[in-house]
Amino acid sequence: MKKSKQITYTEHKSLIRRYLQKDFTPYIVFFLPLTFLVIFLFWPMVTTLMRAFMGTGFKFSLETLGLSNFERFVTSSLYRRSLRNSFVIGLATVIFSLLVGVPMGYFVARVKIPFKSLLLSLGILPIIMPSFIGAFSWIILLGRQGVVRHFLNIIFSPLGITIPSIYGLFGIIFTMTLTYYPFVFLLSYGAFTSVNPLLEEAAMIMGSSRKRIIRTVTLPLVIPSMSAAALLVFIRSIGNFGIPAIIGGDQYVLPTLIYFRVTGFWDLNGAAAIATVNVIITGVALVLQKYVVSRREYETISASRSEYKLHDHWLVKLIAILYCLLILIVSLLPQFTIIVMSFFTQWHGLYPTGFTLENYLRIPRVSSSEIRNSLFLATTASLLTAVLGCIIAYITERRKPKGAVILDMAVMAPFILPGTVVSVALLAAFSGGPVIALGGTYTIIIISYMIRRTPYVFRSVVASLSQLSPTLEESSMISGANWIYTFRRVSLPLILPGILAGTILTFATLLQELSTTILLYGVRTRTVPIQIYGAVVDGKLGEASAMSVMLLVTVFIVVYAMNKFLGRSISSSFKLG
Amino acid sequence: MSASLSLTYKKVDKIFNKEGKDPVRALKEVSFTIEPGELFCLLGPSGCGKTTLLRCTAGLESISGGSIFYGEKNVTSIPPFRRNIGMVFQSFALYPHMNVYENVAYGLRVRKTPEAAVRKKVTEIMDLVGLPDVLKRNPSPTALSGGQQQRVAVARALVYDPEILLLDEPLANLDAKLRRHMRAEIRRIQKITKITTIFVTHDQEEAMAIGDRLAVLRDGIVEQIGTSNELYKNPNSAFVANFIGKMNFFYGSITAVQNKQIAVDIDSRVYTFPEETLAQRFTEQLAVGMKVLVGARPEHLYISKEKMENSIQGTVNIIQHLGQVIRYEVQCHMDVADKQMEIDMDDMVEGIGEGDEVYITLDEKSASVFSVEGER
Repeated sequence: MKKSKQITYTEHKSLIRRYLQKDFTPYIVFFLPLTFLVIFLFWPMVTTLMRAFMGTGFKFSLETLGLSNFERFVTSSLYRRSLRNSFVIGLATVIFSLLVGVPMGYFVARVKIPFKSLLLSLGILPIIMPSFIGAFSWIILLGRQGVVRHFLNIIFSPLGITIPSIYGLFGIIFTMTLTYYPFVFLLSYGAFTSVNPLLEEAAMIMGSSRKRIIRTVTLPLVIPSMSAAALLVFIRSIGNFGIPAIIGGDQYVLPTLIYFRVTGFWDLNGAAAIATVNVIITGVALVLQKYVVSRREYETISASRSEYKLHDHWLVKLIAILYCLLILIVSLLPQFTIIVMSFFTQWHGLYPTGFTLENYLRIPRVSSSEIRNSLFLATTASLLTAVLGCIIAYITERRKPKGAVILDMAVMAPFILPGTVVSVALLAAFSGGPVIALGGTYTIIIISYMIRRTPYVFRSVVASLSQLSPTLEESSMISGANWIYTFRRVSLPLILPGILAGTILTFATLLQELSTTILLYGVRTRTVPIQIYGAVVDGKLGEASAMSVMLLVTVFIVVYAMNKFLGRSISSSFKLG
Repeated sequence: MSASLSLTYKKVDKIFNKEGKDPVRALKEVSFTIEPGELFCLLGPSGCGKTTLLRCTAGLESISGGSIFYGEKNVTSIPPFRRNIGMVFQSFALYPHMNVYENVAYGLRVRKTPEAAVRKKVTEIMDLVGLPDVLKRNPSPTALSGGQQQRVAVARALVYDPEILLLDEPLANLDAKLRRHMRAEIRRIQKITKITTIFVTHDQEEAMAIGDRLAVLRDGIVEQIGTSNELYKNPNSAFVANFIGKMNFFYGSITAVQNKQIAVDIDSRVYTFPEETLAQRFTEQLAVGMKVLVGARPEHLYISKEKMENSIQGTVNIIQHLGQVIRYEVQCHMDVADKQMEIDMDDMVEGIGEGDEVYITLDEKSASVFSVEGER
């Protein structure tokens, strides 16, 4: 009796000892990002969902539960129109982006044309440039007094045709297409170059015509990439705030409606309801796309591949070059326009008037705190995002603890959340709420940036990690290094390019962030994009242009330096979207 | 060099995807001991669990049941970096961002060895693996040839005097000639260091050539452990027999058991096998009427032009010169045997060409008799 007790005791002790021998560091590190996501993502999302069902206003009270906020989608014509606009704009932008981007991707991938890498680099510019800058420069070109519109109207007036002004749905779809077509262009370029030419050659040998090959072999193989691009464009366009805010006129979309609800009425609960609808739409789009793609994903069967035979006919080449040039010129026109505009006071009609350097000279005077804020916020948030994204990527890709899937999904969730939705969620949880009041602080902006941009770093690091054979890390562990040492000496040096790319990209996009900041900034925390937006709204286009040029140049230098330094092309850093 | 350790597995279980829909039992109660200083081969077809067992030994995979001992020490729950082991991976896993010296020195630096001692040990180990000159140029490992990379990987695994050395198909990435050379090299180095070593491979020729003893794994179960000679001469099961070399099979049933002899009826021909030919795995009580599987190595079958007593008729499909022997592939005209027989003769048989009818006889003393249970 006594003896058996003794045995269980020593057994117990050895069990404890063995337990303590285990390596717990991964679990501790696993906890940090999880806590961050729970507090600043799950909790705000839950609060938003709860607030959506509460009465109008900003009070968080469970007594007013009901559907009143959603009823407005039926009763209010403004709501109905906004919802319809969002759908129309999202779908139209997808269709036009495909129409513009797919041929361009095909031409660059399969036609023998010069300056391909330049085309790819320039083609990407519209998505690294702030979209609201594109929007207001189109006002200069195609607005009521727009120079191009003026010009075209003179040409077409004998025919009795007048070009519509940029304001309204047409303008939004036009500007968004030019902003987002690069996603389609890049992804279809990638798809057309990665289809194994042997498959097409096999079809040719079996007697298939060129047209038939495209229809029966090439297209089915690139459809997954196309639909991914379409989803990306849809999510981006339906969540875009800047473009409809600047050229929407009286046409509202869901993000601007949210802004209107918050700033006009301080109706956080109403905004939460709109945000919920917005998220549901993107969610449904995501699920639909996954469904379409899941039935069409193909494994690559053959191991060998041959080189592409590029189209070499002079007519095909001419068409391809002209087409690409036309698209590039039109999509880069806004950038040229604001550079010109920044040196003038006005641009009504054909020529800008009132040459001046005042737009630039006044920047240090009126924007110094905004510049400081932008740099501080973007830098801090990028560094924190890098750490967070890196840890989560490493854990989900390598340690694969139970629940890694949840972490993975949580990180990618903000990818489909429009900026205004993220800020509404943070406001819902931390401003006027009972727990922590963060409204109007740097902290809340930094957190919103981290939440929104972690996917960039995460994706980038996961991509480099998956290139890295796990045996390198295993062999380090075998050599006696614990996993922190292994990470520091083996994994980190090898994935550093991925981390840097993700972080710099994050920095570049955060410098121009508008849609989240617009709801979260306070008097002390105004940023450069906020100031540009304010100047545009006030009609001070010259001032706005000068600041935009400054922003464009900074962003361009940052991204260009990254590509030079890391030796990858701009296009590849944006494939993740 | 530290004293060699034994390595013991006690009822080691490994279940992948344990809580998922379809769990995979990769190792089933594996129990055996590897002697101190032994070069031990784990052999088996792909998916048999040999790499899993090696990764469990290293601690790279946790085990679902049982325990693993290094010497007397239970290491089951100790993470790999506290086990003091060395491992060479199939892909070599050399760090591309470090030069050769840094690669080899890695394990020593992890152990905070003084830099002077690091230099001394790295130089010594590079001498041992036969690459003393590489350190002078000290290039990136990516600039080395496959064989050199292999030696660097071995040096890196051995430099800090690990207690156990694990080799995961280390020769699979080399070409055939280099492979034969390197396996001799590995055996030479192992015999000098006397470190207990496990060598995983799917190549039976390699395993038989290099291992002091080998274990044949199949579906997570150890089928048989023994020296190359034991496995070849006395296979436990038809699976082992056919995996270690080639064996031709016939189905039959026992007609009599007496005088330490077993009479087996194969398609109305009665053969008499001595008791020693019974496989060790044969645990059932022998009885008249019991179904058995009779196996014969290619060198224990003979062909002739004339009909002999108890011979089996067949057609020669292909004749191959393999240097020492001539291999006849014969299509057997019998339902209860392999359709394709491989028969090795010391010399060309006069007057037999491809397409000819021949008669097969079998050497009863050298055959093996297996239980039908558990075989395909």
